[in-house]
Amino acid sequence: MTRKYKDELLKFTFIVPALLFFCLVVVFPFFRGVNIAFTNWNGIDMSYDYVGLHNLKLLFTDTELLNPIKNTLFFAIFTTVFINVIGLGLAVALNTKFPGVNLLKSFIFMPMVISLVLAAIIWRYIYSDIFPTIFHTDGGLLGNPTTVMLGISIISVWKEVGLAMVIYYAGLQTIPKDMYESAHIDGAGSWIQFSKITVPLLMPAFTYCIPLWIGTGLRQFDYPMVATKGGPGTSSETLAMYVYNYEFPYFKAGYGQMAALMLFFFILIVTVFVTNYFRRREVEY
Amino acid sequence: MNTSVPIVRVKETSKRRFPKLIRIIMLYIIAILFLFPFYIAIVYSIKTPIETAQSPLAFPTHIAWSNYSDAIAASNFFLALRNSVLTTIGTVLLTITVCSMAAYMIARNNNRFYNFFYYLFMSSIMLPFQVLMFPLYKTWTELHLLNTIPGLIIALTGVQIGYFAFLYVGFIKTVPRELEESAMLDGASRYRTFFSIIFPLLKPINSTILVLSALGAWNDFVVSMIIVQKKEASTLPLVQFQFFGEYTSEINMAFAAIILSMIPIMVFYLFAQKYIIGGVTAGAVKG
Repeated sequence: MTRKYKDELLKFTFIVPALLFFCLVVVFPFFRGVNIAFTNWNGIDMSYDYVGLHNLKLLFTDTELLNPIKNTLFFAIFTTVFINVIGLGLAVALNTKFPGVNLLKSFIFMPMVISLVLAAIIWRYIYSDIFPTIFHTDGGLLGNPTTVMLGISIISVWKEVGLAMVIYYAGLQTIPKDMYESAHIDGAGSWIQFSKITVPLLMPAFTYCIPLWIGTGLRQFDYPMVATKGGPGTSSETLAMYVYNYEFPYFKAGYGQMAALMLFFFILIVTVFVTNYFRRREVEY
Repeated sequence: MNTSVPIVRVKETSKRRFPKLIRIIMLYIIAILFLFPFYIAIVYSIKTPIETAQSPLAFPTHIAWSNYSDAIAASNFFLALRNSVLTTIGTVLLTITVCSMAAYMIARNNNRFYNFFYYLFMSSIMLPFQVLMFPLYKTWTELHLLNTIPGLIIALTGVQIGYFAFLYVGFIKTVPRELEESAMLDGASRYRTFFSIIFPLLKPINSTILVLSALGAWNDFVVSMIIVQKKEASTLPLVQFQFFGEYTSEINMAFAAIILSMIPIMVFYLFAQKYIIGGVTAGAVKG
């Protein structure tokens, strides 16, 4: 009996290291953050008061939240649509044999491996120096409050299309080729084959990709932070930057933490909803 | 690979849409457009400011290598490189060790106790870092882990444990139990069984996790930005971010710094491309 007990304890030691780091980085800060969200703590002083749901009330009445919401939704929708449409298109187009096809794939994937900081910095100069030279426009997308989110979204599309492409490409390899053959014999054209075979059988890849980009889009912080720091003014501030600004430079940690929790619930609900929507459309074959 | 799909397409396209050759040429043009920003970065990094002002796009007549030596000195490049290398190696080793061990026990014990930990780890996959950002910063200040490489390694490992343990569990469930059972019967301890018998069998998933955690640690900006504010522990992305704030007028030197910090990851991409693409698609597509 004691030997069995000892062995169970030994088995448990296998998960202790992971559990320790996980608790230190995720579990403990999460609950500490929930506690902070109900206070008026500025993030520095030793003392603070519990204010109940006051932060939540402030959050839902803050009209300055509307702009970050608009920017975040724009970014999430724009990047999800274009990354997936272009990625899928390239995956289908490159799913044939011709000289250099693998080279083209590795070129298109290349932006994915460099850091986002470098990508955003390079594009800042493409917008401000190169585009005016080529197209004879002035200012650039990032300098104008009405086009800045478009400019930031394009950087993200350029960097991440390669990832969508390789995921859809791997998905295409799982579709049995004889399906296309019999469809062709039955007289189905390439559009019919794409919409009746490729799209339904790629559903597992959609279930992965679309919630992934909606989720990362809704929590987007890095691209606007590096490309514009939220500017001009606050015109490219996203929800995640709103959280950051209140927690750090504005010294309103309690309020910022409540905003962070609400952002989490919002992303969780949207992601679960979208994932279920696509999972229901997956087919067995 | 089966050739039936191209044959179908050629017949189809020759009747209705572009011939195949035009499609291939278009794909080449698209791929070159994707490379265009890299071209700009390289050209900017080897030009003098005067030539940049005259024609931003053209290749320079005289290559200004001095941009590179200036960039190395001004951005403290080798310190940042050292920090990035240490952080990446530390994160990869720690991640592979703790995640494979935990996932092994979770995969082999399908009971309520171990399933609880499985779902606990998995619940963090959806958690945006913004929720942890401020409390983690405070905790790290109290533990004196702020502005240290070990502090950064632990934070980068911790936020990824959920997803990587999930990938490990999925893989280990496909590894047959017979080998380890006979090893246990021969009297090998649980640790010995794991490290000398199971771990070598995990090679495919280990290389996936290696690639994903190395790329994640090397390129990380958000977590690093919260944990590190001082130069001594700054990694390459942080130094780049700072550098471009300070040297906006000397863009040629700043672009030389960009190219320098791109070289290690590009070499890695050149040699490990198969594993990188295999790694990023690992969680996405079944079978």
